[in-house]
Amino acid sequence: MSQRLVKTQREMEGRFEDVWALVDDEDELETWPEGTELAVVGRPATRQDGPVRASGVARYTVDVALPGMLVARVLRAPTARCRARLDLEAARSVTGVRAVLGPEGPFTMTGDPVLTAEPAWAGQPIAAVAADTPEAAAAGLAALAPEYEAVPPLALEAGLEEQRFTEEPNEKLRGDPDAALADAEARVELTCETPAHVQTPLEPHAAVAAWEGDALTVWVSTQGIFDARKELAKRFGLETEQVRVLAEFIGGGFGGKQGAGPEALLAAELARATGRPVRLVLTRHEDQVVGGRRAWTRQTVTLGARRDGTLTAVELAAVVDMGAAGMVFPVAEPAFSLYACPNVRTMTFPVRTSLRAQNAFRAPGVVEGVTVLEQAMDELAVALDLDPLELRRMNHVDRDQATDMPYSSKRLLACYDRAAELAGWSTRDELRTARADGLLRGMGCATQIWWGGGGPPAHANVRIDASGRALVTTGIQDIGTGTLTTARIVAAEELGLPLERVAVRGGDTGPNVYAPVSGGSMTTPAVMPAVRSAAGKARKTLLGLAADVLEISADDLTIANGRIKSKDGALDVEVTEVTEKLGNATIDGSGTRGPNPEGFRVNTFGCQIAQVAVDTGTGVVTVERVVAVHDVGRIVNPLTAASQVEGGVIQGVGYALAEELLVDPTTGIPVNGHLDDYKMPTIVDVPEIVVDFVDLPDENLPNLGSKGLGEPPIVPTAAAIANAFAHATGRRTDALPLTPARVLEALA
Amino acid sequence: MTLVLEVNGERHALEVEPTRRLLAVLREDLALTGAKLGCGEGACGACAVLLDGIPVVSCLLPVGAVAGRAVTTIEGLGERAAAVQEAFVAEDALQCGFCTPGQVVSATALLEVTENPTRDEIHAAMSGNLCRCGTYPKIERAILRVAGRAVA
Repeated sequence: MSQRLVKTQREMEGRFEDVWALVDDEDELETWPEGTELAVVGRPATRQDGPVRASGVARYTVDVALPGMLVARVLRAPTARCRARLDLEAARSVTGVRAVLGPEGPFTMTGDPVLTAEPAWAGQPIAAVAADTPEAAAAGLAALAPEYEAVPPLALEAGLEEQRFTEEPNEKLRGDPDAALADAEARVELTCETPAHVQTPLEPHAAVAAWEGDALTVWVSTQGIFDARKELAKRFGLETEQVRVLAEFIGGGFGGKQGAGPEALLAAELARATGRPVRLVLTRHEDQVVGGRRAWTRQTVTLGARRDGTLTAVELAAVVDMGAAGMVFPVAEPAFSLYACPNVRTMTFPVRTSLRAQNAFRAPGVVEGVTVLEQAMDELAVALDLDPLELRRMNHVDRDQATDMPYSSKRLLACYDRAAELAGWSTRDELRTARADGLLRGMGCATQIWWGGGGPPAHANVRIDASGRALVTTGIQDIGTGTLTTARIVAAEELGLPLERVAVRGGDTGPNVYAPVSGGSMTTPAVMPAVRSAAGKARKTLLGLAADVLEISADDLTIANGRIKSKDGALDVEVTEVTEKLGNATIDGSGTRGPNPEGFRVNTFGCQIAQVAVDTGTGVVTVERVVAVHDVGRIVNPLTAASQVEGGVIQGVGYALAEELLVDPTTGIPVNGHLDDYKMPTIVDVPEIVVDFVDLPDENLPNLGSKGLGEPPIVPTAAAIANAFAHATGRRTDALPLTPARVLEALA
Repeated sequence: MTLVLEVNGERHALEVEPTRRLLAVLREDLALTGAKLGCGEGACGACAVLLDGIPVVSCLLPVGAVAGRAVTTIEGLGERAAAVQEAFVAEDALQCGFCTPGQVVSATALLEVTENPTRDEIHAAMSGNLCRCGTYPKIERAILRVAGRAVA
């Protein structure tokens, strides 16, 4: 055995922490070099679970039904701040109600209260009931007869004046931006508000909990089954192996479904109180109000440059509407890192207000930061009469300026070139020629930066049985990205088996094979190397057994497409010739993810170019075309990779044009928490989307050379659209989204 | 009261309140969980089923209003949807898959009436089915594929 524990760094969405990771020297497979002919990796493959998803057979958390299961409902704060008085006994006496939890419990779980009599935000849970039927649960909630004493909500502007922050404002400084701005030959300043953006997974937050003695099984619609297991074990005082968390199918997450969540905690508590399984599913309105959101921001970017376009100063002041609390996401990162600049100051002001804590939504912070910074870059291009793409090329940087470390790979310049070619950038001004339809057209670009390098810990097991089939077991959850299929491809490649002879199982903590949360664009780069390593070990064992059976040295054998062949070509047999002799035995390989190489920063890059048409009569903006070219290292599955990009772009179109959670300032109530008034793109709103990748391995990354792709495609979309709007009209709005009202105001 | 419902060609005599929503009866009483509760507001289409062959949002329909009419869910489409389902998988017109049963119901209904739909006809037929993952471009390709117009 060559297993070691090493201290290494783990990165999640730009936050670095030291972790111990179990690594295995035998896992260090070489990254397939650029140009390697691969049989499965890099070729489009449909999803292994496509047919069950398409036929309605796939069972999501909301579909789980257990014998004797009760239904739970939650009483929530009707306004942002209030004090509630409840009649818990009346609720307990309602027919069909089996348990009622108030702000004081009774709880068996420990830790931060899940229910409160003094909510700080609209929708905060106050009480919960479990009942035989939804109707009885609703009657139970009504019997609580809550009386509220209203308290005015905390407003954002007042919070800024009063310095009411969730944590100390953050300032990051490089060089001397004040002097550089004073000396700048060109200077632009741009202020823009970005909207509160709701994740809106179509499967709402949901959990089903069932106890068997002291063993707890929970189905939960989550992006992190291992986080959920840890949280549930800690809260209920259990050993981790007493808790099993399942999430085989998850109806979207986009950042908003982390860990166990209050749903699983409440379901488990109510199940314990009643001795029966309990299901808690949020209504759509609940999910829109309490599921979370990308934070509203107001950012002012000031750029200084020389006449030739070389940036000399970048300054950012970002006000973030945090709601009650939450992690401050890296809104300042693009200003600090995206372009070469010796003098930078970024300031982030996280204001506490009376909304649910903001949380992660696909590329949290970086979407907001890029959306404003990249508009300022275009204003600078206009001020200097430079081509916007040329301005970006001119300020390209090949090192992470915060650490002065080189990027492990960065092919952003190739993205610019390819995107420009696909979009017809060189003739973009011709779009502004008047046409018969009377619409104003324009084209704009924006740059993408994100992390996505993954890292340890992550593990996988591969088992080959007598039938010559392989089962890959990992702890990943497939929230819709196709990660299980990605693992299938990687394992099939390494094993030399056709895809249909490899199956992947995930979404269950039962096998105790750890994989990280589906977030931070880390699943492919973190988990797939472990999958390949596990497959590599199984393959090695299989070849050794083949040597025994075929009486030839293992070194003279290879496996490809399910056949074992001798290198001289004399021998060519089905793998089953060997595996059938296993009987009930199996070949097993386990793989771990080694650390990323030291001395590098691992980031992803890309460029998007949008073309828009603006109706100056109605103020309607139509996105006609988006070209998206990203560099995320080696592409494992071009089919699902393109789907990721299209999905990110479409969410970016919604962010740019229509999506905006609105809050009533007098009550703190989100007023458009339904799908008919929170406007997401439909099939009619989707532009032509042209997707391309640089698709070259990052040879500094262990064993695959692939980075993550979940986040990158949403990062530059809104900025590219806003820049296309400015190209078309010569105007900018001081806030996104580009609703007809804002557009008409900007054009007036 | 007792209602007789015809679901997927089978008749069920059910003791239900006529004001309960069809979707709730399908999912809770008949364990047909293919149709999903995405919003309960008739705004997302995840609950789409066929009522006498026409796609409807079952989350808004009182079950009393459909007694005696033919309800077909994703589970009951069988061979009628096979080509659509194959095309959805082949084109990767599904990501998380939660909206997919509703999308398949709407696409199947469209193709039964309009064998070779135009882009506008596809948009009109599918605009009531939201997909947060953003599979729309591939849904369009899948429908064109079934119509024999696969996009290169």
